[in-house]
Amino acid sequence: MISDGLRILRYAAASGFADFRTIYTVRTWITGWLFRVLCQVSFFALIGRLIDSPEYTEYLLIGNAVMIAAMESLFVVASTSWERWTGSVPLLIAAPASLALVLCGRSVQWLASGTASATLALFLLSPLFGVDLRLPMALVVIPLIALVGLSTYCFGLILGGLVLRADSLRNVVGNLTMLSLMAISGAQVPVSVWPDWLQALSAVLPVHHGLAAIRGVLSAEMGFTEVLMHVGMEAIVGTASLGVAILGFKRFAESGRRSGAIEFGS
Amino acid sequence: MTESSPLAVAVADLTRTFVRSRSRLPGRLKRRPPESRTALDAITLTVPSGEVHGLLGPNGAGKTTLCKILSTVLIPTSGIAKVFGHDVVVSTTRVRPLVGVVLGGERGLYTRLTARQNLMYWSALYRQPTSEGAERTAKLLERLGLEERADERVETFSRGMKQRLHLARGLVGNPRLLILDEPTVGLDPAAARDFRGLVRQLRAEGRTILLTTHDMTEAEELCDRVTLIDSGKLLGTEDPRTIGEWLSAWERVTAEGVPAELIDRIRKVEGVAGVEIDSEGRITVETAGDGTSAAVLSLLVDGGVTSLSTSRPSLEEVYLHLIGSRGLNVG
Repeated sequence: MISDGLRILRYAAASGFADFRTIYTVRTWITGWLFRVLCQVSFFALIGRLIDSPEYTEYLLIGNAVMIAAMESLFVVASTSWERWTGSVPLLIAAPASLALVLCGRSVQWLASGTASATLALFLLSPLFGVDLRLPMALVVIPLIALVGLSTYCFGLILGGLVLRADSLRNVVGNLTMLSLMAISGAQVPVSVWPDWLQALSAVLPVHHGLAAIRGVLSAEMGFTEVLMHVGMEAIVGTASLGVAILGFKRFAESGRRSGAIEFGS
Repeated sequence: MTESSPLAVAVADLTRTFVRSRSRLPGRLKRRPPESRTALDAITLTVPSGEVHGLLGPNGAGKTTLCKILSTVLIPTSGIAKVFGHDVVVSTTRVRPLVGVVLGGERGLYTRLTARQNLMYWSALYRQPTSEGAERTAKLLERLGLEERADERVETFSRGMKQRLHLARGLVGNPRLLILDEPTVGLDPAAARDFRGLVRQLRAEGRTILLTTHDMTEAEELCDRVTLIDSGKLLGTEDPRTIGEWLSAWERVTAEGVPAELIDRIRKVEGVAGVEIDSEGRITVETAGDGTSAAVLSLLVDGGVTSLSTSRPSLEEVYLHLIGSRGLNVG
């Protein structure tokens, strides 16, 4: 049963990576996408330079580099609806396996690309902005960046399930979510500047805890237990999001069966 | 009724109504009342195991709605639908492994994956073990003439090849009931003929096939029995030979450059239902009896007319004849 599920995830991921290869070659990914990412992170880091604050430069560089993993993982919101364009949704509902498995696997290319581009942005730009990452200890943050990407991906799956019903909103929802996370998760300004209720909201959303753990590791000012606690919280947010997303996909399929919204060929 | 039941499909009083909420009228606060449309109206139908059963009807007749219900993609508003004895609403986990669905057109395939990857993917979705899935995939690719292109991306395939891959995808789970929803739509004649050959092979294997089409010739060629459906109502189930008789009974003869005197003589031939003359002087003779077409053709050839052809009526035209003769109301 588990191996069946993994096989389905693997093929769904292969489908996603095949889509990805039609968008990027290695060269266009580096010269197009990665260059864009480096510009974005540099843009925010330069604000720290502008106010002549090395501490804030480091804060912005780390926050915005990690945010790239989240941003790219949120492309899952839009690409979940690609399954409808393929016309495979009714066939997937008619198949014995769960539609949720396919939808969970078909966008992991963004997670992989997001983790790679965020990591490269962090390690390539830090020397340029005079940020000492304290290698090799800093390499520990690579799996933490992947964790932030994964928890955001799972959160994006929830939104993807909603967008399946309103395809035209796919980019609006993805972009609004990304901008909101950039604002409140501690990427640009400390979470403590926001009102209590917004801090509480940030704490149950992805990025917040993972980014705190990454900052803790890179600054070497956070104890191991506290880092572990933040990592655990980020993992919990991701797992809970995945659970909600799976329920959302099941609900989409069932409500579609009732309403007739699942068209053959849709 | 169990999986060994002789009935592959059993449908009783099946109704599906679609309700669509409507927007407010300009300047009004109240929403307009929802609009409802009955796609299937108390249909009762049985298909024995091993039969190729045609669902014949014009666009919007309700054929696809019935297929969607039988493949568990849609829940009926009322009535019962069973596949090999399992209720399609509550026993989806039992029904789904038994049913394969093949849609017409190009959608439903992962065009950026290869044919082999597509089939392996769907074999996983039908919970087949990897080795069994690989073996079945190889066999299907060979059987459907796709083995030479098996490892090429589907987006490079012709329409006919994609449709064959669709059929392979529908068969990869080894279903006992295969639902083919207008499988030859958009195919060129040669590809459609090849596809029909494949369907005949499947019939020989003893699979139950439910085929929707609005091509009467296709239904006549492939089906053991044909159910006529229109505006959500079942008009009746007929032997395909009866359809052949309808087709030949309402054949049409078209000719150009026919002298007026000859047209008058054609009008008087027994069995000629009508003669229409278009703006370019082309005549269309509608016949309604055995041998009438031959008599009309003979007159035209004897009269020196060389530009002429015969054609079979469209499904809609046959419906008009049928429904007219039965006194049914066309919605």
